[in-house]
Amino acid sequence: MIKRTVTVRNRAGLHTRPSSLLVKAASRFKADFFIEKDGFEINGKSIIGVMTLAAEPGATLYLMFEGEDATEAANEICAMFEDGFGEEAMMTKVVTPKPLAST
Amino acid sequence: MPPLKTHTPMEEPDTSKQTEQILQGIGISPGFAIAPAYLFSRTKPSLQRKQLSHEEIPTEQIRLDEALERAKYELKKVASVAEEKIGSESAHIFEAQVQILEDPVFTNAANAFILNEACNAEYAVQMTLERHIGQMEASGNAYLRERAQEFQDVKDRVLRSLQQKRLISKIQQHRVVVAQNLTAADLVLFSKRQVLGCVMDIGGTTSHASIMARALGVPALISAGWQAERVVEEGDWVIVDGFSGILVINPSPETMQEYRLKQAQYSKLLEQQSELKHLPAETLDGHRVHLRANLEFSAELPQLMEYRAEGVGLVRTEMMYLAQGRALTEEEQLALYKEVLEATSPFVATFRLIDLGGDKVLPLGKHEPNPFLGWRGVRILLDRQSLLRSQIRAILRASVYGPTRLMIPMVTNIGEVRAIKRMIARTKIELAAEGKTFDSKMQVGIMVEVPSVALMADLFAEEVDFFSIGTNDLTQYVLAVDRGNDLVANRFDEMHPAVLQLIAHTIQAAHRKGIFVGMCGEFAANPLATPLLLGMGLDAFSVSPVFIPQIKRIIRNLTYQEAKEIAERVLIQQDARSVRKVVSEWFGQNQDILASLMKI
Repeated sequence: MIKRTVTVRNRAGLHTRPSSLLVKAASRFKADFFIEKDGFEINGKSIIGVMTLAAEPGATLYLMFEGEDATEAANEICAMFEDGFGEEAMMTKVVTPKPLAST
Repeated sequence: MPPLKTHTPMEEPDTSKQTEQILQGIGISPGFAIAPAYLFSRTKPSLQRKQLSHEEIPTEQIRLDEALERAKYELKKVASVAEEKIGSESAHIFEAQVQILEDPVFTNAANAFILNEACNAEYAVQMTLERHIGQMEASGNAYLRERAQEFQDVKDRVLRSLQQKRLISKIQQHRVVVAQNLTAADLVLFSKRQVLGCVMDIGGTTSHASIMARALGVPALISAGWQAERVVEEGDWVIVDGFSGILVINPSPETMQEYRLKQAQYSKLLEQQSELKHLPAETLDGHRVHLRANLEFSAELPQLMEYRAEGVGLVRTEMMYLAQGRALTEEEQLALYKEVLEATSPFVATFRLIDLGGDKVLPLGKHEPNPFLGWRGVRILLDRQSLLRSQIRAILRASVYGPTRLMIPMVTNIGEVRAIKRMIARTKIELAAEGKTFDSKMQVGIMVEVPSVALMADLFAEEVDFFSIGTNDLTQYVLAVDRGNDLVANRFDEMHPAVLQLIAHTIQAAHRKGIFVGMCGEFAANPLATPLLLGMGLDAFSVSPVFIPQIKRIIRNLTYQEAKEIAERVLIQQDARSVRKVVSEWFGQNQDILASLMKI
């Protein structure tokens, strides 16, 4: 089993978009993936689990991967946390309408 | 422009029995709708527990599976419509909802519940998802608490799907939809059923739903405190006045007739306005002003042409950031600005630097007791130089695609303007060194939305190329009224003579220094204000595109001289009430159809 500790860096916490991205990425691997927060453990391939973790910005999460591609899974998922799910240094935590153009 | 809805519904109300009720709300999309109400609710599918016999269990599980498939299909469809109408960012929510429907944590639990409790699928879905909703609502984090709404939406969708009640199939044509909350996608779906009007409890003039309502030409209003869903009953005849924000429930025959007349007049007005399209915004004696658009979403770009906007007076660039939840790269910004400029050119597009703070965002980890007096606008930009720098680079680089202006938000002192100008100058040198092209003479202006700047407008006018007066904030700061605070909202009044005097002072100062002044607040879109703003010498009105025709119509119906006289008279009044009186006199005297439409 591979164990990693990560911090939620994106400023809105694990809200809908990052949760969705996380689950989508995790589901591509065969390895089982669990997340523990404050003694509460959930299946990282379940969006319901991830969202109900209610992981706020700055929260510490323990990730556990087990299975043949556990290393790859761990690397990819930790990188997503590291990158703040593409939501780097912004002060915003409001999600409002669509931008001016489709990007 | 969507086709005008001129038909009359088949039925007529029985106006003899009920008592008429008139409620004041906030109009968010102009026009009148007269029709029976349809109460639209996402939260009330019936969910009684039914006890099943053992043999019924497998059938019930199949029912659940089918309902889940149907819900998924619906969500995918909504996602694609939403994406088409407002863009891919909005599709994320629906994608996550599809994931919830596919999540074994939910599907297995719901199936097990049916089996163990021998109960109906509705009850199982309710019990299973409600547990997660409860967990999320218990979170200490407000934003995550709000995400419980997505679970709620999924739950309601599955329950509806189980009862085979699709949202749309229940709505008859030609109804006024009354709801607590509507999404843009709801409006898109409703438009297929030719819904005539909308009343909602939640939202603002810049919400998705409002913009969509205006784009679709559906009159709409938001209740102000009273909850529409509670006061209106299904089937009640209602009148939606999207101008004044008035909702009439069970109108008397007299009211009905009055509004039918207004409706007819408005149709006529719209016809006349479409004839005005190709004519300039010019007074009877030849004084010309510019009518420009305020922009927030790409969905609004086609409206520029539709309403013949002469450029964009305000691009709210922060919306792009807020929507993405992250800083955009320089290249991403460039692409966005280029799209705007390509739609606007040969007219000018004014990009306001991202204006965060106030009611738009909570700077993380810092709870500000007075956000409107806090870290916002240019203050944030100067503290976040990398954000500022990448935006200036993107705007400069975009400036080769059409006439571009850059505008600085929430300025309070001259040092801020000079600091931004220095940054622009440095950026130009940088870009030139990299061999990148830009408009070296790009105009730079400021928002005048704080009393200190309005009072010292002479000084600021020497430093910049143009002013844009932001009346929402200016009014709030001049009158010391928090516009988001219900307790004092009725004291927020742009017609207060102090506000008007500051506006006049700003315009005069600008003109003395030979610079251009526009206005991009909501006041610019208020038809009552048109004669006096014109008379004060305002050069450009920047408004949501749908308001352009009516402002043009007023401008083309008076002389500049007349407008100046109105402005002079207004500026010596003692309070907002007497200001309104002066203005309404002009509308009254002129027997303009607008006078009958406007609630003064």
